[in-house]
Amino acid sequence: MLKRAGPKRAEIPGIPVRIADARFPSPFLPGLEYSAPARGTWNIVHTGMLIPGAHQIFVCAQGCLRGVVLTAAEMGVSDRFSTVAVREKDVLSGDMEKLIFDGVSDIIGKLPEKPPAVLVFTSCIHHFIGCDLPLVYRHLRKKFPDIDFADCYMNPIMRKSGLNPDQTMRKQLYSLLKPRKLNPKSVSIVGNDFATDKKSELYALLAGNGFTVREITGCKTYEEYQQMAESAFCISYYPAAKAAGDELERRLGQKHICIPFSFNYDEISENLKYLCETVSIRTPDFSPGIARCEAALGKTAEELGDTPVAVDCTAFPRPLGLARLLLSHGFHVTRVYADSFSSSEHADFDALQSLAPDLLLYPVSQPAMRILPRSPAEKTLAVGQKAAYFTGSGYFVNLVEGGGLYGFSGICRLAEVMSEAFREPKNARHLIQIKGMGCGCCL
Amino acid sequence: MIKIAVYGKGGIGKSTTVSNVSAALAEAGYRVMQIGCDPKADSTVLLHGGKEIRTVLDLVRERGDDFSLDEMVTPGFGGVACVEAGGPTPGLGCAGRGIIAALEKLKSKGAYETYRPDIVFYDVLGDVVCGGFSMPMRPGYAEKVLILTSGENMAIHAATNIAAAVENFRSRGYASLGGLILNRRCVKNEEKKVKELAENLHTSVIGALDRSETVLSAEELGKTVIEAFPQSRMAEEYRTLAGKILHACGGKPC
Repeated sequence: MLKRAGPKRAEIPGIPVRIADARFPSPFLPGLEYSAPARGTWNIVHTGMLIPGAHQIFVCAQGCLRGVVLTAAEMGVSDRFSTVAVREKDVLSGDMEKLIFDGVSDIIGKLPEKPPAVLVFTSCIHHFIGCDLPLVYRHLRKKFPDIDFADCYMNPIMRKSGLNPDQTMRKQLYSLLKPRKLNPKSVSIVGNDFATDKKSELYALLAGNGFTVREITGCKTYEEYQQMAESAFCISYYPAAKAAGDELERRLGQKHICIPFSFNYDEISENLKYLCETVSIRTPDFSPGIARCEAALGKTAEELGDTPVAVDCTAFPRPLGLARLLLSHGFHVTRVYADSFSSSEHADFDALQSLAPDLLLYPVSQPAMRILPRSPAEKTLAVGQKAAYFTGSGYFVNLVEGGGLYGFSGICRLAEVMSEAFREPKNARHLIQIKGMGCGCCL
Repeated sequence: MIKIAVYGKGGIGKSTTVSNVSAALAEAGYRVMQIGCDPKADSTVLLHGGKEIRTVLDLVRERGDDFSLDEMVTPGFGGVACVEAGGPTPGLGCAGRGIIAALEKLKSKGAYETYRPDIVFYDVLGDVVCGGFSMPMRPGYAEKVLILTSGENMAIHAATNIAAAVENFRSRGYASLGGLILNRRCVKNEEKKVKELAENLHTSVIGALDRSETVLSAEELGKTVIEAFPQSRMAEEYRTLAGKILHACGGKPC
């Protein structure tokens, strides 16, 4: 008779951990990792496809190509995606540079039309052997002067050191912008996979004062993408987008306005004030926005009553900030799913230790999460796909990476979607398995 | 800023020679940086009293990116900025990868802009055995490669290999061969053999050093000859060589 090996369900030491007993920033020990089948977050293929007309070429071992090939196929954009397989003999022959150059040249030669841009993704093997990538790009640019080449990276060993692949991808996404005369009435919002909600204060403040606001998500042509180079200002608010803004400031002279995503009224107000001052517009009174948040949160809290709420790290940046906001407005937040927290969440962590010491923290990548019970005994509202998966709840807010929400309007919209999610259950199994939420999908 | 990579067979005296040349240039008023590209991390040992210094890879291993440029650089004799790339445990890991990581870290921390050395020496371990050991020759690093050799056959063989690698990389825009330095071992026909080697490699012997007990005596004191025996004939040889190196690599003579 077969017998289950390993610990029994619900008997995993250290999981969950009460926030009062947790260590900041990493409540859980790192180790073997598990990936839950909640796949709405974007990967480097999804993000790279935001450049209109760009072709992606991945150069790596065949085994590592599987995931990115499937992503492109699932998106229905295999015609914008190619691969060059690296084999052992390529390492032994010692001319990896030639392999990349020849492979990329061959692919470009066989495309029905020359793309305006090619993103070449090299991998950890190139990093290990010290491949001279600048040399490769010099030669490619010389051979194909009418194509813009971006050096991109699929390098998992850099995942937790320096800029991780996500940050690097968002940075490289704008590396093809060519210097243009800066337009003082033009602003770019950079580094987001999702278009910023047009109802956000960012649009109200900027578009309302005569600024043209551009985002890569709205670019339909390569020329529209290049027009982002005209912006005298670039705004980043998604955490992984900061490096992109820094680089645009360094390379193109765009003033980088880093106004991190937040659930804290004071911080949002400060960020918006900083934005107004930097672009030289009048700072409005933000109290009406705060009042709208209070009303929206109050209404949703009343509707939810004591329904448990679970929050995860994929729905929004700063899940502890979200938990704090909700708890301080009468919501019954019981769980937060996140492996670790950013330094910007320290104040929220400390506050929650007093405000809600019994708040339970769960990891998302620990193998133990595979076997913990996933059917809630009571109706639970999950905010985010991982929370939905781990609680087994169909009542969930289906958002990833903040979904383009920002500011007071973002909080109001969040309250609305929480109410909607509470009223109408979703087919979680179907929705969360779609890779790269918002991208094309053949499933 | 002149950047020079020094290669040559293991044990030929690269670190001793480079340290003495660094000391001679520092003494002449130049700002010098010496970067040891050897996992043994002993390139600059004579410039700072024989003490072990923290290698770049030690810092990376222990602290990730959470360290400052100053922590990677140890001031040595005459203000020479001493850096040791370091490497993995002998017999394990990848020394070449270690050199790449260390050189990239130095660059990313702004070592050249901050210290603004007049001359940078990359003291590279032995032969160009893999991509990591060609790193100091790449654009952004050394513009000139000097090869230290004696008249011994193995040293000449190594020098030939290194020169072949430099030639092979010419089309890539890497550093060019700046010349040979003869470190005499008193073997038969030594001058003639190295001169022939230079001719075969279409380069020149830019300087020569005698075999001298003074060098060993200075090493026992944990110092360069320039520091320990500044009035010695050998110290003068190093000063002369330093001037010739500067001249061969496009700098102004001392």
